Amino acid sequence: MGLGKFLERVLQLVPVLLGVSVIVFIMIALTPGDPVQIMIGDQAITPEQEAALRRDLGLDRPMYERFFLFVGNAVQGDFGQSFYHRRPVSEVIAERLPATIELSLVALLIALFTSIPLGVLAAIRKNSIFDRIATVISLLGVSLPGFWFGILLLMLFAVHLNILPVAGRIGYSSEIEPITHFLLIDTLLRGRPDAFLDALSHIILPAVTLGLPMTAILMRVTRSSMLEVLQQDYVTFAEAKGLSRRRVLFRHALKNALIPTVSVAAIETGSLLGGNMIVETVFGWPGLGRLVVESIFLRNYPLVQAAVLLYAVTYVLLNFFADILYTVLNPKVKL
Amino acid sequence: MNKIHRAVLASVVALATAAPAVHAADLTVGFTLDADTLDPANHRKRETETIIRNMYDGILTRDAEMKVVPEIAESFTQVSPSVYDFKIRSGIKFHDGSDLTAEDVKFTLDRLTIEGAMGNDQTSPRKSLLGPLESVEIVNGDTVRINLSEPWPILPAMLPFQEVVSKAFVEKVGTEGLATEVNGTGPFKLVEWRKGDSIIMERFDDYYGGATDIEPVGPACVDRVIFKIIPETASRVAALLSGDVDIINELPTFSIEQVKNNPNTDVMTVNGTRSFFIAMNMEGEFFDDPKVRQAVAHAIDKDLIIDRILGGNAAGIEGILSPDAFGASELPSYDYDPEKSMALLAEAGYPDGIEVTMDVEGAFKDTAEAIASLLTNAGIKTSVAVGEGAQLSNKWRTKGEPKSGDMYFSSWGNGSLDPFDIFTPTHRSNDRGNSAGYANPELDALLDAAAVELDSEKRAAMYREAELIVNRDLPYVYLWVPQDIYGVSKRLSGWKPSADSRINLHDACVN
Amino acid sequence: MTNVADMSRPPETIFQQNLGNFMRNRLAVASSAVVILFILLAIFAPLIAPHDPNATDLFRRLQPPAWVEGGEWSYLLGCDQLGRDILSRIIYGARISIFIGAAVILVATTIGIIAGLSAGYLRGWVDVVISRIVDILLGFPYLIFAIGLMAMMGPGLINIILALAYKEWVIPCRVVRGETLATRELEYIEAARALGASRRHIMVKEILPNILSPVIVVSTIRMAHVIILEASLSFLGLGVQPPTASWGSMVSDGRAFILESWWVSTFPGLAILLLVLAINVAGQGLRDAFDPRFHE
Repeated sequence: MGLGKFLERVLQLVPVLLGVSVIVFIMIALTPGDPVQIMIGDQAITPEQEAALRRDLGLDRPMYERFFLFVGNAVQGDFGQSFYHRRPVSEVIAERLPATIELSLVALLIALFTSIPLGVLAAIRKNSIFDRIATVISLLGVSLPGFWFGILLLMLFAVHLNILPVAGRIGYSSEIEPITHFLLIDTLLRGRPDAFLDALSHIILPAVTLGLPMTAILMRVTRSSMLEVLQQDYVTFAEAKGLSRRRVLFRHALKNALIPTVSVAAIETGSLLGGNMIVETVFGWPGLGRLVVESIFLRNYPLVQAAVLLYAVTYVLLNFFADILYTVLNPKVKL
Repeated sequence: MNKIHRAVLASVVALATAAPAVHAADLTVGFTLDADTLDPANHRKRETETIIRNMYDGILTRDAEMKVVPEIAESFTQVSPSVYDFKIRSGIKFHDGSDLTAEDVKFTLDRLTIEGAMGNDQTSPRKSLLGPLESVEIVNGDTVRINLSEPWPILPAMLPFQEVVSKAFVEKVGTEGLATEVNGTGPFKLVEWRKGDSIIMERFDDYYGGATDIEPVGPACVDRVIFKIIPETASRVAALLSGDVDIINELPTFSIEQVKNNPNTDVMTVNGTRSFFIAMNMEGEFFDDPKVRQAVAHAIDKDLIIDRILGGNAAGIEGILSPDAFGASELPSYDYDPEKSMALLAEAGYPDGIEVTMDVEGAFKDTAEAIASLLTNAGIKTSVAVGEGAQLSNKWRTKGEPKSGDMYFSSWGNGSLDPFDIFTPTHRSNDRGNSAGYANPELDALLDAAAVELDSEKRAAMYREAELIVNRDLPYVYLWVPQDIYGVSKRLSGWKPSADSRINLHDACVN
Repeated sequence: MTNVADMSRPPETIFQQNLGNFMRNRLAVASSAVVILFILLAIFAPLIAPHDPNATDLFRRLQPPAWVEGGEWSYLLGCDQLGRDILSRIIYGARISIFIGAAVILVATTIGIIAGLSAGYLRGWVDVVISRIVDILLGFPYLIFAIGLMAMMGPGLINIILALAYKEWVIPCRVVRGETLATRELEYIEAARALGASRRHIMVKEILPNILSPVIVVSTIRMAHVIILEASLSFLGLGVQPPTASWGSMVSDGRAFILESWWVSTFPGLAILLLVLAINVAGQGLRDAFDPRFHE
């Protein structure tokens, strides 16, 4: 696609980000609760010291000034200091981000590798027992409340059966020097298969819980899209030409059937970010979602502001990526 | 079975049996919160201090019975009402091998108290914990002299909250570096901080030994200490029961039986330092009348709630102080007597009872509901309103500004177990924790005098008198001081919980 | 294909045909029955629930369900940490879930229809503004936005409904806008315009009735999602005020003692699962019944 279109899309990012920032600031302005008070809690503090603390946190300035300061700094990559960690917000978020991304990616992979084969098979053997079971699973997947299901899985596998760990990303047998900060990859790159399995055993339950609704949705999309494709003329035409059914399926039908699957997957990945918080809380996963929820309750404004912007950017980029993917896979559609 | 099947089976088996190698003597703590930062001067959270305190020592510390003893200091004397001398031990090494001198102590205190000393024009948020500290100087080479701007008898009780840093190290890495790097004098040094997940420490073999008043003196017993962050309660208990961790904090009362019945675990408790109470808005519609306040006090069956909801793990109070605090004494109690409540209400002009709301934070809504139930039975129809901590603080702790609301179920911590920290904020007119809106000039004068009284006996007598006053006036219904409950593994020895929530692992061993 | 016998009956409307399709789907009908059952439970809760859902009894704390040792048949599913009957709280909790789910969908669909119709038909700057707002709102993850709104407004029933509806309207809006864009060029709309009909008349009287069908189907399926969202908010502690029982807050309350007293979290979770599953199956049936492609 042309450079012009690309730039147009990138430029569309700007009002969205600005709008998101404005909304966040308005919400902060309207939310009761003083971060300084929360921080001090019960402890003694003189009025001068409280004023100094307020000044240090930048809370002594009026709202609009803080907004412009924020935007001005943000475009330079400076998102201020976290009230609690007393370190740059970008640093704090960057530390927690890999855990969340890794979890989301594994959930996505589980969803794709489960839903596509199941969806295709369900379509091929339409109305069979297999199809019914697949439909039931997909309906269950969107009906199970993640927080409840996650707790049950945890209690079953981690407590009663005691075969999976209770919290965290990996055990303490030894340090893994980070390369990508994705434990599953780093452990393999460092030649530590035992650590790899350890990391896998930690990530499997949260990833399954997180990926279940997506698996359900993708399975149905794959199934219905596969069904449609199978009825297309060119399939019957190919069969009439004498090509084996299998060849027809995998060469022609599958490729086209997966187009909607892939684009829905790209869009739904954004919703994985929303489900992250609950899963990270239940499974004690040290990711960004948990940090953001805690920060809202603690009124740690700089961190919340930066995190929300990050989510917004991710979402827009994902949508954009989905559109591109769609055009690439389906040349008939022009953006 | 074919190759694929075999591979899958092998993976499953490997997965199921993938147990990480355990170090010879690892002590793991299942902890509720991660540290905000590792800089001892740059945070305000108890949990953060608990973690930091295993890697950094302080001038003074407390033993498990909350007695203040010297740590980095060898001894201390009070030269005059507002001057204290601390003789610093020799032979103490930092983790990087350098020696600790009085310079480091002075640097630490300056960094905590001088405006802008944290770099970037920032002041330490812990400055207020050192009260009227005016200046610090070095005397005779190895003695640090603290000069206060006015007498402050609780200085020794407050010093254990601060930890000593290395001047050279801070000058090298700056405040930014200190947030994630550690060079302390504590029994353990930092190995790795996996943010949000865990903190791994290992024994510092050149540890000077620690406070001489706390046996045993010497390097730590275990090889490594791992603080594993498990905020989810059931998961934390599960980790203890399965042997993944050796100590957990905040063990809930309903899990006590389970932990006791498990052959490998046990429960340890210590009297807490947080007083719980119900603030009644004395400027409000109902509670300006002492009879109504007394009615509320008589309507609550404290023993029942302590027994049923707190598992018996709490001490009832009739005044604001914990029974272990300095100056605490026996006080008249308001017995559970719902009929008396109704009679008092009638006397106050409410023969049909009253309708009120009780504000509470989410974490305590169960207890609040149980209390509301009891109150309703005595004619005080109560509905519980759950709010966020931040919102409720805003609403109730107004420092004298008018407020709305009827009752507020809340608490106030008293980590030093000295009344100054709790009595004044909650009862002095317009003070920061005075959610009841209580204003009694007689009490104010008493509290102010006690704050600077140097004679212990006189001071204790003043606080006793103050407690009698507030017990009579009843701005709050004083409820209880819950115990801190810990779960421990039976292979742990040499550790006792501390009332100030510190988890000091210097002398802890695992078999 | 028509035959002579059919021609003697009055022709079925499309709606009746679709309804017939729905009725033939036994699973969908059964699920609808389940949904109606829950609605009845909610409406007649005071008559059906064996106990007062808010009556605390400290001597019955964490009493197990009837079939476990220590349980009583009058407290069938056991009691929670304050001795309240779980079965009664689940029955009353149906009110919360259904009421909030329906209210959110109603508010969101109404706003969504108005916005979508305006954007799709009037186009121009109206469309640009509305589409921008939609984009911006979509940039917020659902839960964060809801949490932020709840922190801002404080807990409470109305606030939850607003917090969830604030983002939910975007979905019917998109559907309506898409359908409006497709329909506005059709001939009968042209005809109406030529006859001088006002824009409002066209939007409300001509376009709206024809796009309602997909909107209803989408809304039904979204309702299930909203119920889970409300439960998630309650789970995080931002839901309805105690002592009101929301299934989500019941699951959250019980998770601290799920090891020994599993019933406190498990049964409310099951209730959520059953209701949402039933709505999803019924909604799926609706979609299949009204989708012409399904019945070729």
